[in-house]
Amino acid sequence: MKKTSGILLVLCLYTFYYVSLVCAGAYDIKELTPVVKEALDGRKARNDQMQSLKDKGIVGENNKGYVQLLVEGQGGKGLVNAENHDRKVIYEAIVEQNNLDAEAIKAVEKVFAQERRDRAKPGEKIQEEAGNWITK
Amino acid sequence: MLIRRDCLSILFLSLFLGGCASATVTAVGDPERPITINAYITIDIKGLKDTADNIEDYVSGDESIKSVKGE
Repeated sequence: MKKTSGILLVLCLYTFYYVSLVCAGAYDIKELTPVVKEALDGRKARNDQMQSLKDKGIVGENNKGYVQLLVEGQGGKGLVNAENHDRKVIYEAIVEQNNLDAEAIKAVEKVFAQERRDRAKPGEKIQEEAGNWITK
Repeated sequence: MLIRRDCLSILFLSLFLGGCASATVTAVGDPERPITINAYITIDIKGLKDTADNIEDYVSGDESIKSVKGE
């Protein structure tokens, strides 16, 4: 009886541990600070222009979670800088608000890079994880 | 008989405690060599992906800003 209850207790502890790991999931932006909101709204406002540049092949999504100017002299440098600045603000907010280590920003960037690759439309230039640029 | 047994117990206990008290732990190592600790941080990639999904949905105009906070 004592042995069974001991085993049951250990099983319960293990279950609780793994369930808590699974539910611990989301690294949301928990607080929409003015800086973060400005970055999000900036990206939203600029989205159509960025899409236009991507459609023309002037800009592409690199494997670090940022946009990259692929063709010089066609304009778009200011937009690219502003977009990357806003993305950086968002990534840093995720790390800071979820008490992640400073090194975790690399993981955040990689995840967002993959997300952008998945969302890229046919014809857009994307950089694969290995580093080579392809047209989707 | 009982007294003898008690004396023996006390004797053994004293020897044991004396042995513990006299035992020393010596750390052997080079004090000038830096100690490296490798810490592996586990990040829930699925959770990050959900967050990325919500944010990109908002940026592309598909969702409200509440979705960014996971609401």
